[in-house]
Amino acid sequence: MSSIRKRSRVVDVLLRVLPSVVIFALCLVAWELWVNIRDVPAYLYPSPSDIGKELRDEGLSLAVDDLRWTMTEAVLGFLLGSAVALFTGIVFVHAKFLERVFFPWAIVLQTVPIVAVAPLLTIWFGFTLTPKVLIAALICFFPVLVNATKGLRSISSQAVELMSILSASKWSLFWRVRIPSSLPYVFAGLKVASTLSVIGAIVAEFTGADRGIGFVIIQASYRLDTRLMFAGIALSSAAGVVFFNIIGALERLALRWPDARLDR
Amino acid sequence: MTSSGGIAIEGVSMQFGGSQGVTALDGIDLNISGGEFVAIVGPSGCGKSTLLRIVGGLLEPTSGHVYVGGKTSGQARRDVEFGFVFQQPTLFPWLRVLGNVLLPDRVLGRRNPNNGPNSKDIAQELLRDVGLEGFEDHYPGQISGGMQQRVALARALSYGPNTLLMDEPFGALDEFTRDRLNLQLLEVCNKTGSTVLFVTHSIQEAIFLADRVVMLSPRPGRITRVAEVPFPKPRTLEIRYEPGFAALAGELRGLLVGDDDIELAMNQP
Repeated sequence: MSSIRKRSRVVDVLLRVLPSVVIFALCLVAWELWVNIRDVPAYLYPSPSDIGKELRDEGLSLAVDDLRWTMTEAVLGFLLGSAVALFTGIVFVHAKFLERVFFPWAIVLQTVPIVAVAPLLTIWFGFTLTPKVLIAALICFFPVLVNATKGLRSISSQAVELMSILSASKWSLFWRVRIPSSLPYVFAGLKVASTLSVIGAIVAEFTGADRGIGFVIIQASYRLDTRLMFAGIALSSAAGVVFFNIIGALERLALRWPDARLDR
Repeated sequence: MTSSGGIAIEGVSMQFGGSQGVTALDGIDLNISGGEFVAIVGPSGCGKSTLLRIVGGLLEPTSGHVYVGGKTSGQARRDVEFGFVFQQPTLFPWLRVLGNVLLPDRVLGRRNPNNGPNSKDIAQELLRDVGLEGFEDHYPGQISGGMQQRVALARALSYGPNTLLMDEPFGALDEFTRDRLNLQLLEVCNKTGSTVLFVTHSIQEAIFLADRVVMLSPRPGRITRVAEVPFPKPRTLEIRYEPGFAALAGELRGLLVGDDDIELAMNQP
């Protein structure tokens, strides 16, 4: 009986994923046909099969030499930005005054174009890991901060009164009520941040790097090597999807109660 | 004052928003003896929930005092002598039913008189008392509103508080669920012998449950009548069809209507 249920769950997942896979495949086929029929120059629009060949030949070395670095930067930046954002959110919720003072600064940080900040950080820190991690962290900070603050505030006044009737300490209120009620919001923010972190790392690599997918793409663009550019795009977005789904899996592990996840 | 500890409300007034603000309660005097079940009835906005929160030490009155078992209400709250059931169940969705009932035990630790190896058994027995045996492992999101409110009642009783404060706990439920929960509440209170202060806007519910019914007038909240309920306990739902019940209900309703008339007359130029 349990095997039947298990199999039907696998079928469920397949059926849910299938439409998007089919649409994606159809787009690739249309692209392939269009390139072949119209005979467009390959250096402008490489066909999916060309990109596939490029990925087959170069994919492994791209992944090992470059994607590994880009994802290291993205993940480190994600961890740093999210940690600072969570801490700031906790401070904001407990000190309204500090929120009034510093939240405008968080908005300024968010509105500063990272494309403009990235070269500056490269000047300061050189062709190292640091500017990439900082840019990825910067781009992750805001969505996590906004969601965490909202989540930590999402408790009802009755829940506070209940803990007060139990003569609970502030600490107890924080751990037993605020943190669990904030988790759905925090994870919504982390999922947004996970995809942004990869973008942040690649943009940072554009401005000064000697390896990484962003470096590969920018170098390839100088040589009009669009096949390599597309290969880089495909690899980095695949890595972003994997990262997003890892956070999604952690979310499912952490939020097991019904209707916990906000985006379902 | 009995061993379970009565409640003495002495000249309690409450003003919101400074001296120019709204007077929610005006000179409330009331003595409740230990083990007594008192219902407070009044229209919306008469300050009955505010009074309940003042008794529970959640709000400080503008003037007057409340003593619970000889202590100030704030001290009694810090000593965890109150159980509180809110209008909404206020369960934590990430805890299962049993986890929600055990929450006070986790928060209180050794301060919970029921704390110890059998605190789980006590929680399970309470769930049985409110008719929720077999639902221990459900999440609040998987059970009905009436069941959620019963979990909230079991949670409030789980640490054996002397005084139970209830703020329109069954107001959002349908009539049949409400009847059943009223009976279960009387049964459980009979067993624990706690003092109960029960806020409701239903005169019928108040008479059915309480030993005494306190009528509050709206804005400012003043006691207009304290009525003894002449029916012995334990009670059955049938007492609601006795002439004495209807007479008392009619008399109390008359107080509210009278107030409305006065208010209407005052609003006419």
